[in-house]
Amino acid sequence: MEGRVLIVEDDASIREVIALGLTRAGLRVSTATNGTDALAAWRAHDYDLVVLDVMLPGRDGLEVCQEIRRTSQQPILMVTALSDTIDVVVGLEAGADDYLRKPFEMPELVARVRALLRRGSAPAEQEIVAVGELRLDPLRFTAHKSGRELVLTATEFRLLLELARRPGLVFTREVLLERVWNYPFLGDSRLVDVAVQRLRAKVEDDPASPRLIRTVRGAGYKLAL
Amino acid sequence: MAGRAVQPGRLRRRLTVAFVAVAGFSMAALATGSYAMVSRARFADSLSRAATDVRYQLVLAHQFLPLDQTRTANLLDSFEGSGRHVVLVTAQSVTASNVAFRAEPGDRTRSLAATGQVAFERTGRQLVVGGQIPGSTDQLYVVYAEERIYEDLAQLRTAMLASWAAAVLLAALVGRALARRTLEPVGRASEAAHAIAEGLLATRLPVRNRDEFGAWAESFNRMAEALEAKIAALASAQARERRFTADVAHELRTPVTALVAAASMLREHLQALPDTARRPAEIVVSDVVRLRHLVDELLEISRLDAGQELVSARPTELVALLRAIVASRGWQAQAKVEGEAVTVHTDPRRLERVLANLVANAVEHGGAGVHVRVGPGPSVQVSDRGPGIPAEHLPRLFERFYKSDPARGGSGSGLGLAIALENARLLQADLRVESEVGVGTRFQLTLPVTYRLPDGEATVGSAGHGEAHDTFEEGPS
Repeated sequence: MEGRVLIVEDDASIREVIALGLTRAGLRVSTATNGTDALAAWRAHDYDLVVLDVMLPGRDGLEVCQEIRRTSQQPILMVTALSDTIDVVVGLEAGADDYLRKPFEMPELVARVRALLRRGSAPAEQEIVAVGELRLDPLRFTAHKSGRELVLTATEFRLLLELARRPGLVFTREVLLERVWNYPFLGDSRLVDVAVQRLRAKVEDDPASPRLIRTVRGAGYKLAL
Repeated sequence: MAGRAVQPGRLRRRLTVAFVAVAGFSMAALATGSYAMVSRARFADSLSRAATDVRYQLVLAHQFLPLDQTRTANLLDSFEGSGRHVVLVTAQSVTASNVAFRAEPGDRTRSLAATGQVAFERTGRQLVVGGQIPGSTDQLYVVYAEERIYEDLAQLRTAMLASWAAAVLLAALVGRALARRTLEPVGRASEAAHAIAEGLLATRLPVRNRDEFGAWAESFNRMAEALEAKIAALASAQARERRFTADVAHELRTPVTALVAAASMLREHLQALPDTARRPAEIVVSDVVRLRHLVDELLEISRLDAGQELVSARPTELVALLRAIVASRGWQAQAKVEGEAVTVHTDPRRLERVLANLVANAVEHGGAGVHVRVGPGPSVQVSDRGPGIPAEHLPRLFERFYKSDPARGGSGSGLGLAIALENARLLQADLRVESEVGVGTRFQLTLPVTYRLPDGEATVGSAGHGEAHDTFEEGPS
């Protein structure tokens, strides 16, 4: 598999083992030990994905994530030692596409990285999807609403595309996790909730009272016709 | 708290009754004594006046001697005229000056009078006093009416009875007030003790007077202070211990992360290792899993200690959840799940932590005969036919790192049951254990009954934890 990955991690052992694992998986790897170095490396090179530790000396992972998101929609995998679910949610809200809790096994990290890279490069379909004012182009990864271009991350785009392919149909969080995030994820459907929330902020006229992406209580989400 | 039902106000009533009884009894004794003294004095006085009068009348009667028929009539008329009713007793007859006051003196009186003394007797309400007329054997008796004395005494009795009743009533009122005042500190102390038992450790009694109750209140307050200080010390010791646990867990997490990641890579290449290195590498790989498990559990318990865990409730079917737990961990051979489907509104991940830990514990200690039963209602019983746990170990079974048999290591971290209990608390569920040595051990988890609200959301009693999903929802849509 092709891909350039930036690993940002302050602990030398963890950094080394991640680098080793991803290199073995056929990826090209660079490393940074703190937030400032990470942003410098990000600006200097062209990376396809960032593996980002949350707890970093100096500028922490959340700041780095927000900073990268200002200019790029490339996938970010947050690695967190923080145990609280709330911190995970904060990380996702900062713009991360996925998160992995420490400790983790290498095969899982590799699988997540691959899933994120695949999402960024190979969309499932080629045809333009148009629903109401929305126009999604899977080939170019662009989305328009009433002619205005929406700036979406790969994850957000795929989520919107998934909902838009069958407007009116209710998708459970589990189904969305499997189709958008590419792995069956038992239990923590917050990932979906946060992504929907972020997507609404970009798509809805008034994110506080969404008209497009509707919550179906106790079931999931749907795109209103 | 209510082991024995103590009727409030019972002691107060008893004190009042005692006060009234003492007051009533002494008042009655005083009244009876006074009445007896007054009545005796009145009758004695009446008698002594009569005796003085009679002596003089006997001398006057002497003037009428010798008593033939005419003189007798004169004598009787004369006395009757002076306002005295007399009775003349001769050897032949008894003659009264007024038939309405005809009293016939008894033999004892007559024989006493015959000796020359003044004799008396009381008949009806009359005082009959008399003696022998000097110089004859005839006797003259004067009849004094004592009606007035009886009337006065009757009045006195009535007055005394009335004042006795008034005094008893007053005593009852005063006694009640006194008892209330006396027992008020007792009531306050009882309320204060209750408040302390409820956990209001800052409760103190007011020290009003320098009396026994004041001293009591002071020592009560000292006790409460000591208790408060002790509990605060215990709480801070526990907080220190918990902080230490959390710090240790967090410090361990970074090296464990590197170890877990490295070991997972090593595991894929075990076969490529030379024979001398393979077995040690296998041990490293498998023990890293144990270490990870322990650190995970330490982190989980410190998160639970911090009390910031969210509960995300949804309809959960117990039998299906248990079957999934047993199947996913490969316990089908050791554990059997039975019972009818019961759906509760609870956090399935937390419930899984509780149930999986209970079944894991049973499988570890109970061998093959683990029996998991759902029902009645929202409850689950996990029974094993293991060696059982001695009664003295049962209360400490849910403590951290507690092992009832230190010699038997077991593969568990020693935190499983503690975590199960904390998670059960979070779900407001009741978790209890019973065990018999040689027979087996049984854990019972009882979940709260949940109610479905009209809008489709459910509530667990007074659960203080919001549903996590709500954070991302925009309300009814």
